[in-house]
This record gives sequence, C-alpha cells and structure tokens, in this order.
Amino acid sequence: MKKLSWIAICMAVSVGVLFCLTPAHAAKPIKIGLVDCYSGGATTFTYDVRDAFKMAMDNVNAKGGILGRQVEITTRDTKFKVDIGVNVTKELVMREGVDILVGTINSSVALAISEIVKDAKIPFFSTFSKSDKITGEKGQRYVFGITENTAMVGKAAARGLAEKPYIKYWIAGDDYEYGHALGDGVWTNLKKFKPDVKLIGQSWWKVGEPELTPYLTAIMAAKPDAVIFATGGASMVNIMKASKATGFSEKIPMFVHTATELSTLMPLGQEAPADVLGTSNYYFYFPETPENKAFVKEFQDAYGRYPKVGALYGYLAAQYIIKGYEKAGKFDTEKFIDALGGLTVDSPVGPVEMRACDHQAQLPMFMGVTKKSPDYPFFIASEIKTIPGPQTVPTCEEIKELRSKK
Amino acid sequence: MDIASAFGMSEIALQLLVGLSRAMILFIISAGLSLILGVLRVPNVAHGSLYMIGAFAAYSVNQIVGGAAGFWLSLILAPLFVALVSFVAERVLFCHLYEREHLMLLLFTFALMLIFGDLVKFFWGVDYKSVTAPDMLKGSVMIFGLPFPAYNLFLLIIGPVVGFALWLFVSKTRIGKISKAASVDRMMVGALGINVSWVFCTAFVIGCFLAGLGGALIAPTMGITLGMDHTIIMEAFLIVVIGGLGNIWGALVGALIFGVTQSIGVMLLPQFAIIFPYLAVVIVLMIWPKGLLKSVW
Repeated sequence: MKKLSWIAICMAVSVGVLFCLTPAHAAKPIKIGLVDCYSGGATTFTYDVRDAFKMAMDNVNAKGGILGRQVEITTRDTKFKVDIGVNVTKELVMREGVDILVGTINSSVALAISEIVKDAKIPFFSTFSKSDKITGEKGQRYVFGITENTAMVGKAAARGLAEKPYIKYWIAGDDYEYGHALGDGVWTNLKKFKPDVKLIGQSWWKVGEPELTPYLTAIMAAKPDAVIFATGGASMVNIMKASKATGFSEKIPMFVHTATELSTLMPLGQEAPADVLGTSNYYFYFPETPENKAFVKEFQDAYGRYPKVGALYGYLAAQYIIKGYEKAGKFDTEKFIDALGGLTVDSPVGPVEMRACDHQAQLPMFMGVTKKSPDYPFFIASEIKTIPGPQTVPTCEEIKELRSKK
Repeated sequence: MDIASAFGMSEIALQLLVGLSRAMILFIISAGLSLILGVLRVPNVAHGSLYMIGAFAAYSVNQIVGGAAGFWLSLILAPLFVALVSFVAERVLFCHLYEREHLMLLLFTFALMLIFGDLVKFFWGVDYKSVTAPDMLKGSVMIFGLPFPAYNLFLLIIGPVVGFALWLFVSKTRIGKISKAASVDRMMVGALGINVSWVFCTAFVIGCFLAGLGGALIAPTMGITLGMDHTIIMEAFLIVVIGGLGNIWGALVGALIFGVTQSIGVMLLPQFAIIFPYLAVVIVLMIWPKGLLKSVW
C-alpha cells in the first residue's frame, strides 16, 4: 500500500513537471548562429551584416518574437580561416544546438559550412560570400544565397559595358579566387553580349598589394580602350588612389566593381577619381524610396553610421528567417525551407524573391559612376541604372546543368 | 621579347622610377627591422604592426590638424607615437626576454602582432581610412613626356635623406657606434662597462620609429586598413634576408632588388608579375646563402 502511494506520488510529480515544462518548451528561443570573420580587414563589411541582422531581430523580439518565440543570436569569429570556421560551426551545431546558421564573408568557409549543414539539416544563409558555386554548382537544399555572386556581377557589368564603344580591354585584379572569378564572369558575358571585344592583356597582383602604381603605369603603356578591375578588400581603395595619382583615371575608362561602394568612397573623401564605373547591390541614398529612407534612419539611429551593402544582406537574411517561419506556420525545418522557396520579402531595395530552384535571392544590381556630391563629404554613385535581379542571375536550366555535372 | 620595341624607352625608364620609389618605402621599413635584428637579435614580427600603427596615427594627425600642415606634422608625430609605443613595449616586455631563444622571441613578437592588430581595431574601428597628400604632392608630373605620380617623386627624395640620417647615426654618434659594436659582440660591450640594456632600447626604438615613418609615408598612397601589417612583414623579412641579416645597407640593396624586379616584372609579364621579386630572392639566396652583404649573425 505504502509502496503504491509512493509510485502514485512520483507519477503525479513527474506529470506535473512535464506540464510545467511544456509551455516553457514552446517558448524556448530560436537560436541563430552568426559565423563570420570578426577580426582583421574584413570587419568593415561583416560588422554591417551583423548589426543590421541584430537590428531586425531586436525589432521582432520587441514585438513578441517569431510565432511567439524569441530570437537568440550567438556569434563566432572565423578569423577568415576555413579550419576555424569549420570548428566554430560544428561547435554551434553540436554544443549550442543552433536552429539556423548565418554568415560568412569567406567563400571557402561558406562552402565548408554548406557541407556541414547538408548532414546536420540546418538552414544556412550565406550573407557575403561571392563565389557563384555556393548556390550554383555546389548549391543544395539547406543553403540560401543572400548576396550577389561573381556570376551575377559579371552578367550585370557586362550588360552595362556592352553599351560602351570600347573594343580593346585589359583585365587586372587581386590574384585570388574571387578576383579571377569576377574577371572571368565579366569577360565571358561581355564576349556574349558584344562578340568583337578583344582582351589585350591581364595583370594580377597579390591580395592586399599596397603599391599598384607600377601595374597602372604598365597598363597605360599598353594603351587599352578600357580596363576591368576585379578588386576586393584593401585593393578597393588602393586602386582608386593609385588611378588618381597616376592620372590613369583621366586617360583610360575604368570599370571597378566596387568603385561606388560606400566602403570605398567614404574613406577617399574628395580624393576619389571621377567617372569610374561600378556596380553595387545597395546605396544608402538610392533608391529614394520611403522604405530605404526608413531603413537608413533606423540603422543610423542604432549605430551612428551609414548602412553599407552588408547591412542590406544582414537585414534581408533576417527578413527571410522571420517571414519563412511565419509562412511555414510552425517550427519545422523542412517546412521552413519549403516556405522559403519563392518567398518574396520587402527590403530597402524593393521586394526581393528567394528563387525556389537554386535558393538565390534575386537582388537587383545598381550600376553608376563616381561623382562629386554637393550633399556628402565624399563622392557618390550617379547616373544610376537599375538592373533587375532576374536579369543578372543564371537561369534555372543553367543551374540544373551545373549541378548535374558533378 | 625585346621590351624596348614593345614599349618605348621612356615607358621603361618611368617604370624603373616607379620601382625605385617603392623601394624607398621598403628600405625605410626593412632598415628598421634589420637594425633590431642586428643589435637585439630579435626577429620582430610585430614590426609590421608598428608600421600599421604609424599609418593609422598619421590618419589621426591628419584628421585633427588637417590640410598640408597636418600631412607634414603626421610625418613627424606618427613615427614619434610609434616610437613611444615601442619604448613602452621594450621597457615593460622585451627587455626581460633577450636571453631567450630565437623561437621564443619569434612566438612572443607574433603574439604581440595579434594584440596590436586588435588594439588598432579597438581604437580606430573597422572602416578603411585614407589620408590626402598636400596639394603640391598631388596628381602627377610629366617625366619623359609621361605622367608620374608627384608623391612617388617625393618618396625618391625622402628615401636617400632617411638613408643618410641613418648612416650619420650608425657611424658618427657614440650610441650608434656602440650599437654597431653590440651587434658584433654584445658580451664584450657589456664587459667594457657600457649599459647594454639602454643601447638595446635605443636601437629598438629607432628601428620602430622607422616602421612608423614607413607607415606615415605610405598612408597617402593607399587605403589604411587592418591587415596591412601582414602584407608588409613578409616582404620586409625577405628583404632583410637577401640583404644580409642585421646589415642596414643590405636592407637598401634588398629593397632596390625587390622594388625594381617587381615593377619591371609587371611590365614584362603582367600575368605572372607576383613571382618576380620572389624569384629574385630565390636566385640571390642560391648564389649568396647568407645574403648579399655581410650578415652580422
């Protein structure tokens, strides 16, 4: 009898505990792991992604969270290294038990994370990696591209350049995967749009090369009609300074993908070369829509600086997560992924669709030239042309072919 | 391929001048590294960080003072600031470690490089920075009928000036002579009753001053970014090695080889230009394994 009542009590207690736990379980926060390079030169880009992402999530938390669950963000530094990136990702997946991963600026790290999430079945939003392999050849169900990639930049830039009268081109840039992929991307597309263009030479310098003057003087001696520069990181500023000091920018038309980025133009102040052609996914002053203005104001109020292109990526990633769960209606990873396919979210650059066939956000590309501005203490992009997202991405058939190759 | 026919003589001469001006910056930085290597026997990996701090400090001086005065002042104040940082580092940290093995020192200075990198991020933030050259050094001047950046011309003048000042210090001042002696036999110098510790400190601070000067000088020609320390330190070490460890004039010869092979290589085979200076390093080391000039090690 005594024994029985003990069992009854134990059962009652455990049932009680279970009851208490169930509501707590439902309110368990959604854990999101931000994996990115938060040290060294890349931070000028990655901090914007992180801050805009946090800003969007803070907003949704203040309104009661996503479907009643709060969002909890954990960050990890990859130090731009693949091995560290893999370690911290595994740690986030296994120890922290994150529901979603967001990051990174290094394409090699992004591809490594892609492999991890394929097995772990965790959605991964690639926010700043420019390799077109991420959602192209190596794309898969659990990976989403929230940034332009080299294929998109190449196609967009080629559309703009094909309208110019230049025939003899020279390609120069940073000697690493990104530089070459960007150069190739522009060139193969330009060849398609305008078959009579000729490539008369190429020069590639090592990443972070501080002195670009000898490269520019050598290119000037070869007298091309125009030069395509495929630069990233520190070279973005260096190429602008060197082209102005050598008089290069006044003699030879230049396309520098990153020429009109705020990261490039703000440090240069009034010393930027004028009329350099560039492309970008985002300017804080364009498009002049209420959505963009509201976003800029909110970001400025929160962090005291202008949002750069990374802020758009961070914001977009957050929107896809929020709207994806809302559309799925419950917390089920597979349902969430299905919901994201074809989902369109509002953003500072207008509605952006997440294409179902390759999980690549159809970001519009803006093309403009550098110009002195009466409103800001630095040059801005002007004569901006918008190239809609669907015109820059490879077609679904092309993606299918790429993926079936391996 | 006959380059003289592919490009005009004036283009080649201009390219040579560009290479020489690049060599001047490399010389100033690696002379400092070499001095420290020679006198203190410390392979200072953090030398690149001090160069980076010099560039960031130059940016700050330019922000505060502004205009042409800001630029000229930054050429003095930024290296002095770096010298101050290095003085503190030497007195608090380095001076206790000279007797350790080279490997320990190498690891220690490597750690210091990471710490300096984070400190720069903490104080100056993550955005790219830029310094403007004064009007008289802006734009380009015509040489051989071709445009040549005025700032590089300025570098061609400042390089020999720094070299001359360094020569005066090493061969004409008492402390210079002592540090030269200390680099050959520090036991003997100590036995003569000279306070070796202060000689080391002076040499270290002067070496770091040169790193800061290099940073301040390069500031107007490029974007000032985190990570610029990593780029320069490899080149500086290679230059010191081909010139002869610890030999300041070796640093000059090494820098000239490095700068000129790079600029000419860029013209000859632009696609493979990166390898030229490194190829030169390999060739020099195969023929003169201890460097071109006498190594003090």
